[in-house]
Amino acid sequence: MLGLVSLTKRFPGGQGVLEVSLEVAKGEVFALLGASGSGKSTLLNLAAGLLPPDQGQVFIAGQDVTRLAPERRRVGYVFQDLRLWPHLSALEHLLLVMPRPDRKRALDLLEQTGLLEHAAKRPGQLSGGQRQRVALARALAREPQVILLDEPYSALDPVLRERLRLDVRTVLKEAGVTALHVTHDPEEAMLLADRVGVMSRGRLVQVGTPEAVYWHPTNLESFLAFGRANLLYRDGEALAFRQEWVREGGELEGRVLERRSLRGEVICRVQLPWGEAWVCLERNPGETVRLDLQPLLRYPAQP
Amino acid sequence: MRIAGPLFGGLAALLLLAPLLALLLRGLAHLAGSFGDWDVALTSLLLAGGGTLLSLLAGLGLAYLSIVGGAGRWLEGLILLSYLVPPFVTGIGLLFTLQTFGLKAYGVPGILLAWLLHYTPLAYLLLKPQLRSVLLLLHAAEVHGVRGIRRLKVLFPPLAPALLVAGGTVYIALLGNFGVPAVLGVPDRVYVLPTLAYARLTSSLSPDPLGQAAALALWLGLLALPALLLGQAPMVEAAAEREREPRLWARGLLLGYGLAALGLSTLGLLREALQNPYSGALEPAFRAAWELPLVRQGLQNSLLLAGVTTVLLVTLALALRPFPGLLRSLRGLLDVYYLLPGTLLGIGLILLLAPTPLYGTPWLLLLAYLLHLSPLALRALESGARVEGLVLAARTHGLAAPRAWLRVGYPPLLAPAFAAGFLIFPLALSELTLSALLYAPGAETLGVAVLSALNGGLYREAAAIGLALMGFSALALLGRR
Repeated sequence: MLGLVSLTKRFPGGQGVLEVSLEVAKGEVFALLGASGSGKSTLLNLAAGLLPPDQGQVFIAGQDVTRLAPERRRVGYVFQDLRLWPHLSALEHLLLVMPRPDRKRALDLLEQTGLLEHAAKRPGQLSGGQRQRVALARALAREPQVILLDEPYSALDPVLRERLRLDVRTVLKEAGVTALHVTHDPEEAMLLADRVGVMSRGRLVQVGTPEAVYWHPTNLESFLAFGRANLLYRDGEALAFRQEWVREGGELEGRVLERRSLRGEVICRVQLPWGEAWVCLERNPGETVRLDLQPLLRYPAQP
Repeated sequence: MRIAGPLFGGLAALLLLAPLLALLLRGLAHLAGSFGDWDVALTSLLLAGGGTLLSLLAGLGLAYLSIVGGAGRWLEGLILLSYLVPPFVTGIGLLFTLQTFGLKAYGVPGILLAWLLHYTPLAYLLLKPQLRSVLLLLHAAEVHGVRGIRRLKVLFPPLAPALLVAGGTVYIALLGNFGVPAVLGVPDRVYVLPTLAYARLTSSLSPDPLGQAAALALWLGLLALPALLLGQAPMVEAAAEREREPRLWARGLLLGYGLAALGLSTLGLLREALQNPYSGALEPAFRAAWELPLVRQGLQNSLLLAGVTTVLLVTLALALRPFPGLLRSLRGLLDVYYLLPGTLLGIGLILLLAPTPLYGTPWLLLLAYLLHLSPLALRALESGARVEGLVLAARTHGLAAPRAWLRVGYPPLLAPAFAAGFLIFPLALSELTLSALLYAPGAETLGVAVLSALNGGLYREAAAIGLALMGFSALALLGRR
């Protein structure tokens, strides 16, 4: 449904180059995961036509839209800063972007996104979560072939964020729309996406299901993208393992230095032969433990 | 094709800056001969410098009182009202008020007091946001035990750039002011560069009035240059406001200043305009003023010129808004006509257009108003509201660019556009510097009419119009809010 073919964009000021090829299937929710500055938002803007690529092509539903203006691409966009129109009500937002204004369908969409009772309110009269829903409903109102979501929950508090992202997946799946979702939050990517792509320095370094990328990261960037990461260096190589992968009863001896609590889980800072690491472990400071770090990933140590 | 853009831009810049280039060429040729007027240049410099220091001190004090006292919009409106009244009206008002108490208003002290009344609100406006941020820094220092004179180390360095910028702005305004020295200086033979340039231009004794006026305008430009170069110095970042209990004493002092300033510029006008000086009876002079053909015509001309200028400039700024690069470049180019004293533009336009049919017609004045006031409209729309994101959002959702601008880009811009209109219209209505230099015979403006009435001894009528202009300024202030 969405095809980005050898898409290239040089960042201003010699800050690197974005080079990406990607195919997102019809109805698929694809999450782009990566650190700030990795090129995720640039990629969305290229797909939407808000930035012209230096080279490469953008295909939507098999049509080459590279040279088409944004308004002719049939995409919906949930911007990071939402960009709601302050003088229009929620309902008017939807009616304005519909190819043929259809009040009934607009009201249906508002109902679907839990906004029906707020249809007449302007953005300034809505809460953060409600504004988020207006942005999503607006993106859907155009009957887009692709929806682009640029870190849409970053300004929300954690409770609202958690509830909304599950709702959004439901709405997207019900609408059967293809979605490219940018996030730097690995939990969000796992919850929302059918597939995940990890971006680093303008390139897609790994693409796969969330589970595959979580358990089998093919490179250090992909490993780090999912967080809760320990990285220790030995003999010119980086030894990588996640906090929650560690089990007791192995060969490696360590000493517990500190004990903390995180979301009902106990994590300990442990002194290992190659350095310190945080691991999920129910122990107390001063105790000696024997650990099994498998699966232990090995990558070439980067300078 | 690649050089067409810069070439067109260069030509447009040359055309827009042609009045200043004409002034430069003619003024340089007469500069050596104008050295005899060094005393007037020195008077201008000292008066503008002294007036700036006084206005900055008063403005800073008012800003402090306003922050500490938690001044509301009405109290702040009272302070700002003096700035919205045309300077020559402040001058006339002060003249009549001091005369009521048997005091002399003419000469250097009168000019300085009138400037202080008129320009202190400008210094207040420029300094208040910075002072608010710096007071937060000072609060942080006090919390950490900084006391006594050491507090100046926290207070002064972050405030210094703001003081420089505000000082530069006020200095240029004072240096180029024509109205107050024309009302309070000329009768006492105290000349500054704008009034001397006007006198030379209208003198029948001068061998080359235009050349001499151009040289004086050039002096004016040279004296203004250092302040122009100060530019926009970096300032402390705006911060959230500190919660504080409003101090009633500060509010009281602020109210006292506002009423005193208003009283100084209004009492005399009220007495002169409303009371018959011979019988002492209440006898408003508004009808008499209205019956003067010069005043009636002046009002009609000024209303028309101000209306057309406002509509054209706001429309131009709105039309250019979708092209922010062009808007910014044009504003940057035209800024010089708002920042530099109006005398330079006026004499430059005479030099450039005297040989054309445009000269001696109201169109010349319209052109001058457009050039002088355009930066206000362009700046208001440039910084008014960030709508590019909203337009992009609309385009992403299927609206073509013109429709996106009409439906979601322009609506949030209407408020800044109206604000620009409310700023430009009163300024154009009561403009005096350009009008005095460029008015066409039979097409005088209101400012010229008031000055003529004053010079012709029609004090009561001049006071009545001054009072009406003051009332109009108060209405404009309400409109902008």
